Amino acid sequence: MMIRAALVSAAISGLFALATLSVPAPAMAQGAAAASTLTINFDGIKTPTGAIMIAVFDSEAAHDKGGKPAHVAMVKVAAATATGVIPGLAPGRYAIKVYQDVNGNGQMDSNPFGMPLEPFAFSNNVVPQGGPASWAEASFDVPAGGGATSISFR
Amino acid sequence: MIDRRELLGRAGLMAAAAALPGPALAAAQPDWFAAVGDVAGDIAPHALSRIHGRAPADLAGTLYRNGPARFRLGGTAVGHWFDGDGLIRAWSLRDGQASLRARFVETVKRRIDSKAGAMVQPGFKTHGRPGAVVGSADDTNAANTSVIAAGGQLLALWEAGSAYALDPETLATKGPVTFKPELAGMPFLAHPRIEPDGRIWNLGMGGKRAFVWRLSKDGKFEAGQAIALPMASYAHDFTATARHLVIVLQPWVQERDVLPFADAMVWRPELGTKILVIDKADLSKRRVFELPPLFFFHLGDAWEEADGTIRFDGCFDTDASFVSNAASALVEGRFVRAEKPMLKLVTLRPDGRAELGDAGITAEFPRNDPALAGLARSRTVHVGGYRTDRPFARSIGIWDWQSGRDDAHDFGAQQIVEEFVPVGRWLIGTTINMAVGATELHVLDARRVADGPVVSWRASMALPHSFHGTWVAA
Repeated sequence: MMIRAALVSAAISGLFALATLSVPAPAMAQGAAAASTLTINFDGIKTPTGAIMIAVFDSEAAHDKGGKPAHVAMVKVAAATATGVIPGLAPGRYAIKVYQDVNGNGQMDSNPFGMPLEPFAFSNNVVPQGGPASWAEASFDVPAGGGATSISFR
Repeated sequence: MIDRRELLGRAGLMAAAAALPGPALAAAQPDWFAAVGDVAGDIAPHALSRIHGRAPADLAGTLYRNGPARFRLGGTAVGHWFDGDGLIRAWSLRDGQASLRARFVETVKRRIDSKAGAMVQPGFKTHGRPGAVVGSADDTNAANTSVIAAGGQLLALWEAGSAYALDPETLATKGPVTFKPELAGMPFLAHPRIEPDGRIWNLGMGGKRAFVWRLSKDGKFEAGQAIALPMASYAHDFTATARHLVIVLQPWVQERDVLPFADAMVWRPELGTKILVIDKADLSKRRVFELPPLFFFHLGDAWEEADGTIRFDGCFDTDASFVSNAASALVEGRFVRAEKPMLKLVTLRPDGRAELGDAGITAEFPRNDPALAGLARSRTVHVGGYRTDRPFARSIGIWDWQSGRDDAHDFGAQQIVEEFVPVGRWLIGTTINMAVGATELHVLDARRVADGPVVSWRASMALPHSFHGTWVAA
């Protein structure tokens, strides 16, 4: 029984092939006054090593159809919790996919049939149902002035 | 007798039915319903009552068996016989006495369902319900199909995820087995092929790929490799000669990427059946044989003759209606008429031809002498006596391909006969006695099956129909 494992792996790890491991410079928003900062609070980290790789999507097409994230970030992990900061977001609707690169090899490890071997999670703490979360389930608003959201690893 | 499900179906109200409380049950439960009943909890060890005969003096050990034993919870039910929680039964024989203990495998699936108070996890043909969590195949692992012994522990086997390790004395669950970190969660069939010296071969099926496992007799990882398959077939079982793996690919193929699993499968008889023969020593060396469309769950051990001819038997239907329809109805207490599985012999000729021969008897749950696994043999232990008006088997037999005869014992209309395991000169297995509402343990003499059991014991309750198991000598 394939639990669309390959889709989950590809959805989460493939996009990171497009990103460098270093945190990029803040994105240039349309107007400095419109840029907001999103704080992501992570908890439920089981193994305090490596880094959480964060991909922030700003459209359903990009999120659900394997498009490029609008922003990427990396947060080093040393405890059961961690905090990521995404600066320079225009207010709007976003969805986030993350995985923890436990062994620090820069990719989301999977077994030969594509099942993720490293922890992954979605914004709104969407519970996986045998595949990646959809934009409809995972998207949330970042208002002007910024905001915070929580993502728990299971 | 119109049951609620039929009525609502005819009125086109199936969608509404999903919202109604309670699992759909036939208006009156059939006499065989204990075969798909729920066991409330673990069963503490207790002695069985001997109802006739005497235990052979040389027989001491434990018959471990696995099978689904929780189908319903909180007004919901699983959607298929294969989706109940695995219950490990240990039938122990010592000094002429028999005892039983049983314990559920503590799977992630069972924990999630229990916490939700309902059967929420998706499965073979069970839809996920609110509260389901599916981050991996092992989240839905029912660990319910077979149990083998290796390396001082028991392994509860399923097919689409990991084996679960158990303590052989207490039956306590140790957890899913990861043979190597990068292979965590890989599928592992419930029918490994075990060579006479104990080496274990197995497959993990994944659409148009399979993963070939090779373990030592102690269950330690030796080698693993993914191979391509010509068809994305459902395969519950495979077989092997001493030198080859034999993978039968039936035309029930995965065409969609949806849950539950059975909804992704389509019966495509025009594809026929393909049989892949692969060299154990070099998995890139393969031959493909073709047969007419067949559906199977179970195969016997294969063997190779001096001229390279390969033979094996199996229990075959001509379509997938049992797995895709009738096996769901069973959980609801409904019998849907399906074909009777027939024992057939597959012959693969060195010139590439493949032939199918008929024993002319109904058969399922085939077992062979483990000492002859992969070697020339002629006998197959099987249940039988299937009928067109009710489910399950009522007899046990040994079919001999050389003599063309079946040495069989009919337990009668009141008994449901489960798989029997050959142990030296004995056959050991269980039946569900519907007349008294209790599971029975029987030993027969394999040289005289027609004489019936030499000894039988009775438990104090009926356990649901188990699938497969193994004997561990004391």
